[in-house]
Amino acid sequence: MKGSYSITVQNKRIRYDFQIRRNITVIRGNSATGKTTLIDMIREHYEEGENSAVELRCDKQCAVIDGRSWKGQLSDLSDSIVFIDEGNQFVFSDEFASFIQKTDNYYVIVSREGIPSLPYSVDEIYGIRNSGKYGSLKRTYNEFYHLYEKSDFSVPVIPDTIITEDSNLYPGTCSK
Amino acid sequence: MLTVYYGDLPEAIFNTAVYFKNSYEDEWITDPFAKQMILDVDKSTVLDSGVIDSPVLGKIPPTSLSGGVKTVILIKNVPEKIFNASTCGDNCATWILKLSEQRNITINLRHIMNFGEGSFNIRISNTDTVVHSMKELVPIAGLYV
Repeated sequence: MKGSYSITVQNKRIRYDFQIRRNITVIRGNSATGKTTLIDMIREHYEEGENSAVELRCDKQCAVIDGRSWKGQLSDLSDSIVFIDEGNQFVFSDEFASFIQKTDNYYVIVSREGIPSLPYSVDEIYGIRNSGKYGSLKRTYNEFYHLYEKSDFSVPVIPDTIITEDSNLYPGTCSK
Repeated sequence: MLTVYYGDLPEAIFNTAVYFKNSYEDEWITDPFAKQMILDVDKSTVLDSGVIDSPVLGKIPPTSLSGGVKTVILIKNVPEKIFNASTCGDNCATWILKLSEQRNITINLRHIMNFGEGSFNIRISNTDTVVHSMKELVPIAGLYV
């Protein structure tokens, strides 16, 4: 799977609009911003489709995996955007890191904890913020925002070594 | 005082939402500390032990509170267990510190929670060091997360 994908998820009370740009995206930030609500809505749409009363617009299938049977759930998914809520310890395992390298899915993971086994960009770590009501509806509108901006770094950094990754290279083939 | 163990702690309850769902008691929701915290963090009002009024989601059960609020409620009410407080956002840090002013509590953190600009007393159990500011905390905690 390549490229970026716009996703809109909404029900009667809440709407999320965001874009997934790379194969691994991390969501973190304050409590009560709607991270778990987003995952629940995607899960309900995946399980029940239109009958869930959740409307989901995306060019790719969106699914949620969790629990001990994650490997089996993942085996049934390809060319999909897979969401994983916090509380799933398997995302920190080497087995998970190795398993997802063989898949063509994108992954959106809710975690404040760093995931050292996965190669993800600081630019793909997001928070969710409330942008008020959507139009004239009584629906709350939520969007993703970059959690770490360049302006966050006010102290000059003088590194000893710089490690770069060529965007055409596979993650892991970094060179000094 | 607040004691924090940074990094992986196998005996800690990792999935606090599941633990909360299967263990919470009505009085945990209606006590004044929980009510104030739910109002501050979730911007929601406790109507009674089983119904909370959320400005976004409408009337919700306690199991639909935010993960952070549920974890702090567990820390308060189940002192014999250690909980993964990395399910709490920085907006819960004040409430964890408030709780630690009432009694000694121990939590597990797997990330650097921002306890704010003020001074505090936090014992980092990995090194048995007491720190009083984020400036003191970060260089030690950063070795473990």
